Amino acid sequence: MTLLAVSLDAITNINFWISVGVIAGTYAVVALGLQLNTGFTGIVNFGQAAFMAIGAYTMAILVLKAGFSFWLSLPCAVLVTMLFGVVIGLPSLRLRADYFAIVTIALAEVVRLFAQNARGLTGGNEGLFCATDDPSNCYTNAWRDLSDHINNFVSNFWGDPDSLFPLLLVIWATVGISIFLLRRLQRTPWGRVLRAIREDEDAALALGKHTLVYKLQSLAISACLGAIAGFFLALNLATVHPLDFEPLVTFFAYSVLILGGLGSYRGVAVGAALFWFVLEGTRFIDLPDPPFTETRIAALRLAITGLLLIGLMAFRPQGLFGKREEMVLGE
Amino acid sequence: MNDASANGSPLLDVEGVVKRFGGIRAVNGATLSVREGGITALIGPNGAGKTTLFNVLTGFYKGDQGSVTFRGEEILGEPSYEIAQKGMVRTFQITKALAAMPVIDNMMLAAPDQPGELLRNVIFRPRASKEREVEVRKQALELLGLFNLRDLADAYAGTLSGGQRKLLELARALMAEPKLLLLDEPMAGINPTLGRRLLDYLQGLRRELGVTVLFIEHDMEVVMNHSDRVIVMAEGRVIADGEPHEVRKDQRVIDAYLGDVAGEPTAVAEPDE
Repeated sequence: MTLLAVSLDAITNINFWISVGVIAGTYAVVALGLQLNTGFTGIVNFGQAAFMAIGAYTMAILVLKAGFSFWLSLPCAVLVTMLFGVVIGLPSLRLRADYFAIVTIALAEVVRLFAQNARGLTGGNEGLFCATDDPSNCYTNAWRDLSDHINNFVSNFWGDPDSLFPLLLVIWATVGISIFLLRRLQRTPWGRVLRAIREDEDAALALGKHTLVYKLQSLAISACLGAIAGFFLALNLATVHPLDFEPLVTFFAYSVLILGGLGSYRGVAVGAALFWFVLEGTRFIDLPDPPFTETRIAALRLAITGLLLIGLMAFRPQGLFGKREEMVLGE
Repeated sequence: MNDASANGSPLLDVEGVVKRFGGIRAVNGATLSVREGGITALIGPNGAGKTTLFNVLTGFYKGDQGSVTFRGEEILGEPSYEIAQKGMVRTFQITKALAAMPVIDNMMLAAPDQPGELLRNVIFRPRASKEREVEVRKQALELLGLFNLRDLADAYAGTLSGGQRKLLELARALMAEPKLLLLDEPMAGINPTLGRRLLDYLQGLRRELGVTVLFIEHDMEVVMNHSDRVIVMAEGRVIADGEPHEVRKDQRVIDAYLGDVAGEPTAVAEPDE
């Protein structure tokens, strides 16, 4: 039976899986912000791609156009993104959850279209990469140095590590630290107020909680995570390009969230790994060329991933790590 | 009974409050006052504007006209969370138990002065909340004990029965350490036995904690036996205000109930007794 074979030599290619791990980790960081917003505060944020874009673009612009050092540009870009989240949230978080969702998805598109058209600042459709006239001025240089150091160290144990391996380490370390911190936050009285807002904002108001402030804080932390994911994307691709911040990014992150389960930060990490394992692993499904052309297989991969999600919703609607009681009772 | 209402100073003063929805004046110049230390019932036929008035008083609706003075301070138009922080705490007609949270978390959430609720304290003074949490948990368990909910402290609030949720909401409101408790139909949808127990709790609370209560109720019988004062609303206005036995004889009250709601047998039967 050669109809549905899997090419084994490709699937055991470690470098390929490292690059998948980098993407999965980036999405885990994105989806952790969504978990805080949607899973723990009850605000449905569809604009996470906008925060990634603003983080990545601010970092690149500060380095390339304002001459900031890469390491200084990172905290600055995080602050700019968080501030942006607060400014956007101030009017829109007063809306009902569903209207807020609409506003944020529109916002994400506005940011992306702005990046596409403000060519002087963002390079438009060419994206922002290293200045060709001055290769020393590039946001990837400082990272490249550190990355080489890490790989020099790693080569003591592993002959010829992949060039993306240090990024993989840093990204998943970030995921781990973020999960640790978010879980601690969630257990504080502050986290309790967030959950109350998720359950019933009016009840929280009637008990004297200034819910708008909590929702803004939740959004700002999520924006911070979005910006960090934006940095990872920029370092991975060595460019910042408007097409990398399409709404699809947010929807993939939501798939990760639902797969992992609402209300579980660890679920996000597992969900991200599983989602990208399936989406990329299906590349290796070998089907006879006619009728299965390359484009058809590409479409088939998405269909398989979709089926996985549908199957999960049918048999485990709370996701891998979600609590069923909370899902049922939350309605 | 007379002493409580005669000697208490006014805690809440409502003057000519108006709330419009388009062309409809749901509250049309309501004027009333609630003295400290009493249990006051707010009654009236359906559509009299009782719940709307509650929503205006607690900042959930913005009043269009009038003035609301609470503990000597004008509060009309202030946001709901500030009014709650000042000590006017409400419950809702349709119970708002925080379903996917444990009962104990519902209770602890309501306690005021928890430094750990501020993000900056969580980050820079992570230990600041510890002491208060211990104190609040103890207090919460005590109150839950009073309402026969202690065994359910760790259950999700959503698993409670309708009556238990009503009790939880009341207990939770008390955790907020209110000066004035506004209860919107606390007895609605629960069985009469539990309802009576809830009223007994209220009586006890007034005695022990000095909480002043203003509650909306439909059932005249309940109102007559368990309140010091009765305020009657109809068509957005206060039409009568006095002790239960006075109000039940008031012709305007009888008219309002008879004229508007034919299906209120308790209200109809009362005046002849």
